[in-house]
Amino acid sequence: MELQLGLALPTPPPFDTNGSCSSSSSSSGGGGGTKKRRCFDAESRVGVVPKTLHLLVWNTDRSDDGDEPRDLDDNSFSSVVLNEEEGLVGWPPVKAWRKKPRRHNGRPNNNRTAAPMNSCGGCRASNSTYVKVKLEGNAIARKIDLSVHHSFESLTATLMTMFDISDEHQQKSFKLAYQDRDGDWLLAEDVPWRTFIRSLKCIKLIRSRSC
Amino acid sequence: MQKKRAYSFPDEVLEHVFSFIQSGKDRNAVSMVCKSWYEIERWCRRKVFIGNCYAVSPKMVIKRFPEVRSIELKGKPHFADFNLVPDGWGGYVLPWIVEMAGAYPWLEEIRLKRMVVTDESLELIAKSFKNFKVLVLFSCEGFSTDGLAAIAAGCKNLRELDLRESDVDDLSGHWLTHFPETCTSLVSLNISCLGSDEVSFSALERLVGRCPNLRSLRLNRAVSLDKIANILCLAPQLVDFGTGNYTTELQPDVLSNLTAAFSSCKELKSLSGFWDVVPAYLPALYPVCSRLTSLNLSYATIHSPEIIKLVSHCPSLQRLLVLDYIEDSGLEALASSCKDLQELRVFPSDPFGVEPNVSLTEKGLVSVSLGCPKLQSVLYFCRQMTNAALVTIAQNCPNFTRFRLCIIEPKTADYLTGEPLDVGFGAIVEHCKDLRRLSLSGLLTDRVFEYIGTYAKKLEMLSVAFAGDSDLGLHHVLSGCESLRKLEIRDCPFGDKAILANAAKLETMRSLWMSSCTVSFGACKLLGQKMHRLNVEVIDETEPPCSRLESCPVDKLYVYRSISGPRSDMPPFVWTMDEEGDNNSNQKDFFFLDMFVRNNHYISNSL
Repeated sequence: MELQLGLALPTPPPFDTNGSCSSSSSSSGGGGGTKKRRCFDAESRVGVVPKTLHLLVWNTDRSDDGDEPRDLDDNSFSSVVLNEEEGLVGWPPVKAWRKKPRRHNGRPNNNRTAAPMNSCGGCRASNSTYVKVKLEGNAIARKIDLSVHHSFESLTATLMTMFDISDEHQQKSFKLAYQDRDGDWLLAEDVPWRTFIRSLKCIKLIRSRSC
Repeated sequence: MQKKRAYSFPDEVLEHVFSFIQSGKDRNAVSMVCKSWYEIERWCRRKVFIGNCYAVSPKMVIKRFPEVRSIELKGKPHFADFNLVPDGWGGYVLPWIVEMAGAYPWLEEIRLKRMVVTDESLELIAKSFKNFKVLVLFSCEGFSTDGLAAIAAGCKNLRELDLRESDVDDLSGHWLTHFPETCTSLVSLNISCLGSDEVSFSALERLVGRCPNLRSLRLNRAVSLDKIANILCLAPQLVDFGTGNYTTELQPDVLSNLTAAFSSCKELKSLSGFWDVVPAYLPALYPVCSRLTSLNLSYATIHSPEIIKLVSHCPSLQRLLVLDYIEDSGLEALASSCKDLQELRVFPSDPFGVEPNVSLTEKGLVSVSLGCPKLQSVLYFCRQMTNAALVTIAQNCPNFTRFRLCIIEPKTADYLTGEPLDVGFGAIVEHCKDLRRLSLSGLLTDRVFEYIGTYAKKLEMLSVAFAGDSDLGLHHVLSGCESLRKLEIRDCPFGDKAILANAAKLETMRSLWMSSCTVSFGACKLLGQKMHRLNVEVIDETEPPCSRLESCPVDKLYVYRSISGPRSDMPPFVWTMDEEGDNNSNQKDFFFLDMFVRNNHYISNSL
């Protein structure tokens, strides 16, 4: 397969045209990437694939040799970018939240369970180790880097300092709560640290008297 | 010789006269008359529109216009809507807010489009502007409901909060409770983009109930149908209403309550929302249909018969947004019922499907063009087209100002003749002398660009994809389209020659975007070096362009005019070509480091 001029990339990871591009087939009008362009599928993944992978792609009108890229001479030189589900990025030009009028179900990188009108940009929260933390009664949220903490004790201590709660008695009156990926609010004391870390979306310090 | 000001009025009089001139263009003309008019005008300019936030710096704006009350800013290029602009590209509003917080304590309105807004920015707005009234965040991102809470709590005279199509980190629906009980000033509230399933409905009801001037309310999907009747009864003065999801369990009361609620809204002219529609509830809308001028059904997965029923009750309709479920038959019905139609947008229900799932073809658009003489603005997604249809449409609708056609499969020819669609689009530009915006699709050669360059003298924005044969195509456009401001191109065989030959033209435009074309790195460098009032930015996420040969094509190119020089907030994957060569303040090394961390396997393979 010839590579596009000058975009000197190594041999792309083994790429199964039938498997990875799934139902919308090799190229065609499929379009619209997600903001996080992941690699094609588990089988073809070799390490982490960069966000854009330039290949000389097979032609846009399907022929039976779907695997053969079209000749450069053919005037459809486009270096199209493939992403995990459809052919072309950003084509057809529909905004992210229009892609499917029905609800999404569990896109892997979309933290929200709600409708596709929230664009598929779950990218912000996914890779970052920073989470939002709020103090009950305080309108302004802060952010905390979870990667430096390995226990509830150290996390709580940092939070107390962050929110200036120095009085021990006051400190005891707060409980640590968190919202998980499903949107439910839970008490941190009920779960092991590892569960907490893996499933949390954001944290709140709530007063421990009954609400 | 002494300068005589024999004909001049006192400054206050001139200022008073100028206050009747609202349009930015006219104001700019006024300021060019003479020095004294320039001075008077700049002190009384209250409203500034900045189409590209990087074209000028906040300090420059503040220096020239010290008493601004309303500002509008746009950030990312249009193709960012389709994921062509990588995250982190830029468009940050915070630097603007910081400067304005000091310089414009009486700022009342901020309107942003495609910008990155953070909670910090929102908090700063809430704190800094005592008389803040209007916040419109159109297709923005980067903020959460916490920032909204700060706005709600801090802006005592808030009139408008419009989050249309923004990407909000929805942490909690309780931000609505931050509107104090004393807040009664709301005129417009658009929260349709919010995803939260727990919008504090009681807070919303109380808010709506105490704002007698509320004219526009757009709810989000989470609000179910049974709740709408209550809201409408609290605000019968609404002119524009966006429902939440239009579904609930089929119960007898809901329909009658809803119908009664809609009946009480005598001013209602515009409807939107309609997620998850249960058709049985559509008749509740009939009381308002005769007055409706705008209807957005673009989320409604209802089919042609139901759409036809609804639309035939709406003779005053001027604007319709709908999914292609409407089909050709529905468009024919539209053409016979809605003679006042000015704007039509038909969106694809299944944009990635290979085979058509609905019977929507060029015929639908032809019917509408025939039946609706006032049609001016079209956005149409379909899967087939002919030159003949386009010629007919052009002849029927010489008043088009916006024509955007998207044939879903790239490079689709006229399906009857097999020819390119050059002649069809040529007819559009030839007949529609006031055309300001055009989007092309289908199989197109350099010919279509020749037509465009020849006829489209008022064209301001052109979008091109998978079209053309050579640089000549681009040259026709750049040399012929006198009014061109924005040009965006993807996947076309346009290279260096047209750009370099028309470099001066680029300074008369707001911006040029080219991605997946054949513009070489060397040409970008040359352009950046020679044209000091252009920012030439190359976007490449795989490796720095300078690591390749000069003749290599760049992945994405964004060129825009600017009087504030290259920007300093570029991410590692954006390079600016300027006098000193290709630059990024986050140098090459950072780039490799960044890429290494993200894609370590890939990089180690390529080195």
